[in-house]
Amino acid sequence: MNLSFFDQFTSPYLLGIPLILLSVLFPALLFPTPNNRWVTNRLSTLQLWLLNLITKQLMIPLNKKGHKWALILTSLMILLLTINLLGLLPYTFTPTTQLSMNMALAFPLWLATLLTGLRNQPTTSLGHLLPEGTPTPLIPALIMIETASLLIRPLALGVRLTANLTAGHLLIQLIST
Amino acid sequence: VLHTTRALHTAQQRLAPLPPLPEKGGEVRYGLIPEEFFQFLYPKTGVTGPYMLGTGLLLYFLSKEIYVINHETVAAACILSVIIYGIKKYGSDVAAFADKLNEEKVAKALSVKNEAIKDLETAIEQEKKEQWRVEGCKYLFDSKRNNVAMLLETNYRERLLTVYNEVKKRLDYQVAMQNLKRQKEQDHMIQWVERNVAQSITPQQQKESIAKCILDLKALSKTAQAAV
Repeated sequence: MNLSFFDQFTSPYLLGIPLILLSVLFPALLFPTPNNRWVTNRLSTLQLWLLNLITKQLMIPLNKKGHKWALILTSLMILLLTINLLGLLPYTFTPTTQLSMNMALAFPLWLATLLTGLRNQPTTSLGHLLPEGTPTPLIPALIMIETASLLIRPLALGVRLTANLTAGHLLIQLIST
Repeated sequence: VLHTTRALHTAQQRLAPLPPLPEKGGEVRYGLIPEEFFQFLYPKTGVTGPYMLGTGLLLYFLSKEIYVINHETVAAACILSVIIYGIKKYGSDVAAFADKLNEEKVAKALSVKNEAIKDLETAIEQEKKEQWRVEGCKYLFDSKRNNVAMLLETNYRERLLTVYNEVKKRLDYQVAMQNLKRQKEQDHMIQWVERNVAQSITPQQQKESIAKCILDLKALSKTAQAAV
């Protein structure tokens, strides 16, 4: 089979069975489950240290209520990190190069932040549509622009991840030859 | 750590501590293949068995073009060499870092225990000192009692002295008054007697007494002369 440069971006199929779910779930196998010991082996200790580092970085600016996002954000971060890094190895497939997966990640999370903001502090979240210190004649135009940017955001996020990974991996392949 | 938390409740609950982790991990050869594989093949094929198996498999895949050599093979070779180089160079450092993390965790807990023990020991020493102090309290109280008794005694004696002095002053006054009175009476009487005597001496009597005195003196001079 002659491999071209774009074969790494095709979703893998085995006899017609899509393997994309497997490739999304596979990185979870690489992390040992933290067992109940207090003093663990080296790998578990390092993994725990990394998790603590990431969670601290994410959660320090937030107040107590924002800490319930800790689990999903940290696990998301670790998942994306592993998926993208594993995609650098030869003969591997990176699920995040598929636009479908990135949109599936982007839309719910963006919508969650939007609705949470609108629900808890509606005036502040609506107030974010207008930056401070704008001259008065520009206000209507600016509100339209901010609303448009808010609605475009999930598309932007999804496409951003896809494009970055695709271009990056492709570039690495190109440079390596 | 106890078995009270167990995954999906598969095992029985046990309140004894977990067995400790083994000192070293399982033996692996070339970092990938566990030693048990070599031991498994040893009785049938000897020492070179697994190597022959590996070489044969590789040649089979290559010759039958099941695995095609393409640009990704080169990429794989490069990545593999980089990974191996990285592990060889920084492996021990990472292991030391992980060990340090564990050591710090254990040391923190140990320090809590040691600090508690030290605090309790100092508390024991202080308690002993307090007990010794209590024993010495007896002497303290005795000396304090003596002091108080001395103060009372001194005060009493001072007051006695004051009383005595006051009484003496009053009695002296009375005595002085009486003496003065006596003196005055005496003086007055003497003066009265002198006055009366001086008055009673008339001139006639004065001449007679003077003449008598002269006669007596003459008589005495006669006898006196004889005595010398």
